Order: sequence, then structure tokens, then C-alpha cells
Amino acid sequence: MTARTNTRTGIARYQQVYTVLSQALATGNIAAGEALPSEPTLVRQYGVSRTTVRRALARLAAEGSIVRRRGSGTFAKSGLEKSGATRKVTRLLDDLRRVGSNTRSKLLAFERVSTPDFLLREWPEFGERALLIRRLRSIGDDPVVLATIYVPEDLAPLLSPRRLGVDTVLVALDKLGHRAVTADQQTNAVAADPFSAQHLQCPVGAALLNVRQLARDAKGHILDFTNFVYRPDCYELHVQIERGNGRRARVPR
Amino acid sequence: MAPKSSPARKARSRPRPSPRRRQKTGVARYYQLYSLLSNALNDGTIAPGTALPSEPELSNRHRLSRTTVRRALERLENENRIVRLRGSGTFARQAPAASKLCLNLHTYYKDLPSIAAQTSVSVLRFEPEVLPAGVRELQSRLGERAFVIQRLRKFHGTPYQLSTAYVPESVGRQMRRNSLGSTSIITVLDRIGPKTVSSDHTMSAVAADDIASRALGVALGAPLLRMRAVFSDSKGRIRAVYESLSRPDQLNVRAELERVRVRSAPRPWRLRPHETGSAKR
Repeated sequence: MTARTNTRTGIARYQQVYTVLSQALATGNIAAGEALPSEPTLVRQYGVSRTTVRRALARLAAEGSIVRRRGSGTFAKSGLEKSGATRKVTRLLDDLRRVGSNTRSKLLAFERVSTPDFLLREWPEFGERALLIRRLRSIGDDPVVLATIYVPEDLAPLLSPRRLGVDTVLVALDKLGHRAVTADQQTNAVAADPFSAQHLQCPVGAALLNVRQLARDAKGHILDFTNFVYRPDCYELHVQIERGNGRRARVPR
Repeated sequence: MAPKSSPARKARSRPRPSPRRRQKTGVARYYQLYSLLSNALNDGTIAPGTALPSEPELSNRHRLSRTTVRRALERLENENRIVRLRGSGTFARQAPAASKLCLNLHTYYKDLPSIAAQTSVSVLRFEPEVLPAGVRELQSRLGERAFVIQRLRKFHGTPYQLSTAYVPESVGRQMRRNSLGSTSIITVLDRIGPKTVSSDHTMSAVAADDIASRALGVALGAPLLRMRAVFSDSKGRIRAVYESLSRPDQLNVRAELERVRVRSAPRPWRLRPHETGSAKR
């Protein structure tokens, strides 16, 4: 039985093998200095041709992730694993700024738009018009998260790019007296489309962590809807769940 | 991630959503359009029943040939996600109701039996083994060797989750392979005791490796939701270390959160206690 590498996916087979191997290298599943499986082993493991394996390895070698030594094999280069400074394990709804002081935020869009249908269908109270904010957050030179935020029209006049600064929308609204007290989150994996791939500097089709979140204030008014797309090698989501009567369920401090 | 010389890095300063320039990426151009449309259909940006942009529009906007646009649409049509009506256009299909399982973190323990009841399971591995590298950091609390229980869970006949649990060898010895059934691993452990009272979960996204790709019927490198968890008893002893890989088209993970009512600022968020949480899926 072979893995389902096939050409019908729109992703070349060498690209599929490349993706899986770079993940193994980035996570340390293949540790620094350790030998990669031999070419014939990879051929069997992934059910692809020798040429495909070679092309994937050539790409890893070209970007300096592996070293090929004639006669002795292929080895993982050191220093590929994300350092502690970059790799963040963060709790639900955390403000990314709290986990590192060198985070940067780049505003990609700040404009009034018609509220997209998917928001109106689920939450008609969102209103016909909304403020769209799109921003990219980075830690050092690594882009970490691309956020697309919709704020209902009635709150839009309170916000400006300057007022937002480096704050998250929820923090900015909090400072203006609109405090989020409940949030509904959905978490899943998505394939990078060309837009997120470009901003997060990853290949199209790469696995990204997606969080969609709707926040409300104490009266139940919607404050914002945010679609986050995270690079998983830089960010993980952490939740602690206590059993029992459910009263103690909490997100760790 | 992208090599230093990739087009993605060069284009960083000037966002260019058009996939036109990316040719040697190992990703077909039709796939790039397909992935944009697919994500838009998934998150409802293109709502069920509404029309997609026309072929000439897509072709202009993304600077792709009509053939490339058609290939992207054909793939969505083959996946039953759009319907093409001759003369009137292309429309997003209504997603079949209840086609997706939902895992609610705010009612996690309460929901375990009902998820087990809705799904079927095959046991792929059930044996003691030396801990793999990823779990080894917990070795001091789990022991040198652990019992590995790998299972494949299906919903309506479609495999959606590959899970691997590591339990202390002494506990594993008290389990029987054929008694596992579709029961959640926590329920099985509770029968042996002591009871699991808390868990730490970490969620991330990973590319399917050869094992996950075969088991879940997805392409190598396809995105999967990974959830890792450490389950503990009331004395903080590890009951199980668990990892699951789930297909994003089959499972949603949801959490209702609320802010703790304390005076300190910033007020911390927590999972909503389930007595007050809504029962909505």
C-alpha cells in the first residue's frame, strides 16, 4: 500500500514529498545532524518514483535544509527547528503581543465594505455595512498570523489606523469602553491559498491553523468577527479543560 | 517554508493576490485558483446558492487562461461543491446537513460518549513500545515504555480521525483490544481508574505524512488538524498522552469562551462552564 501521492491533487508529487519532509525537519522529527531515510526507502514510503524523491531532496538541499554527502547519505542541517523565541504556544484568545516584545503589525487593509453574506447569514444583526481590517503580525522577521477582521458599522467610527496602532481590535475597543465578555471560536486546519501563502511566506497548499472568532460585549452586541490564519510552525493553541461540574473549566493563566 | 529566493518572498513588499507569477512552485496554477475558491466556499464567503464569478471574470481577475479556470471549476464540480447550470452560471451548493462532526471544547467530557456513539472505530495498533521522540519529554511521568493504542475513527463510513494514545504500560496491560470498540479512551481508562480529571490540549495544523494520508484517504501533504493532549488524574499523574489528526472537512472544533468576572485587569478568558453554555452544535 502506498500513500496517496497523486497528480490529480494539483500539487506536484515532488512538492507533496517536499512538504512532508520539510515538516519533519522543522519539527525535529528528523533531528539536526540525523540521516534522512535513503532514496529507495523514501520511494517505497511515499509510493513515488526515484526522480520525484530526488527532486524533493534537491529542493531541500537548495534551500539549505539538508546536506548531501556523497557515499554517506543525506543529513538534516542544524538550526532548522524554530528557536524558543519564535515558536509560541499560546492560549485561546491570547493577545500575541503578550508572548513576545518584538512582534510587529502591518496594516494591509482598513476600509468600509458591504458585510459579506456568510456573516449576515449567521449573524443578521451584524448590519449591512462593516469595517474591514486586515493585518499581518510578525515576530522578528517571521510572519505569524494573517487576521481578517470585520467590525459592525456602528463601532467603525471609533476606530482609525492610528487609534488601532499595534493593539488588537478587541484591545482597542476595550480601551474605548466596549469590552468583550464572550467569544465563540472555531478552530481547524486549512490549505494556504495564494493570498495567505504570499503573506505568511509559505507554499500554496501548506497546512495552516485557522481560528474564526466572534466576540460580544456584556449586552450581547457583536464587537467583531475575526478570521485568523496562523503559521503552525510559529503558533499553537493551548486549552486546559477541567472535568467535574464544568464550573472549573478554564483557560490556563 | 518558502526558500529565500522564492517569488513569495520577493513579492512581500507588494501584495499581489494574482497567482500568475508562481509557476515553478510545484503547485499547478489551476490548483491556486481552486484553493482560493475552495476556502471561500468552506468559510461561506461564497454562500450556498449564490453565483460564483463567471469564467471570463475569473480569468481576467486572476490572469489565468479559460482552460485553467475551467479546470479549477471542474474539480469543485467533481467534489459536488458547485453546480454548473448551462446558460445561467455556476452556483455554490448547499452543504449536506450534519455532514460534519463538531467537537465542543466547553463540553468536552460531557460530549465524549455521544461522539463515540455517532462514530465507528477500528483499532490499528495495540501494543507496548518504547516511547517515540515526540512524547519522550514526558517520559519521567509516563515511564520508559508505554502501551500504544492507535485507532481510526469513522463518521458515516468516512475516516475522519487517526488517534494515537500512549498509556502507562501497567494500565495498558489491564485493557483488552476487543473491548476498546468505539468507546473513548478516557471512558476506557475511567473503568480501570483512577478517574481523569483534567487535560491540557494543544492544537495545530500539520501536513499529512504517509501514514496519515493512507489511513484518512487524503493526499500526502494535505492539511490536518492536530490535537495533542495530556490527561491527568486528581493527583496530577498522567493517565494518557494523546494525539489525534483530523480531516478538516469532517470535523470542526468549537469553543465558547467567557471572561472571568474578577477585578484584576486584564481579565482572563476561560471556557464557558457548560451549565450556562448553549447546547447548540
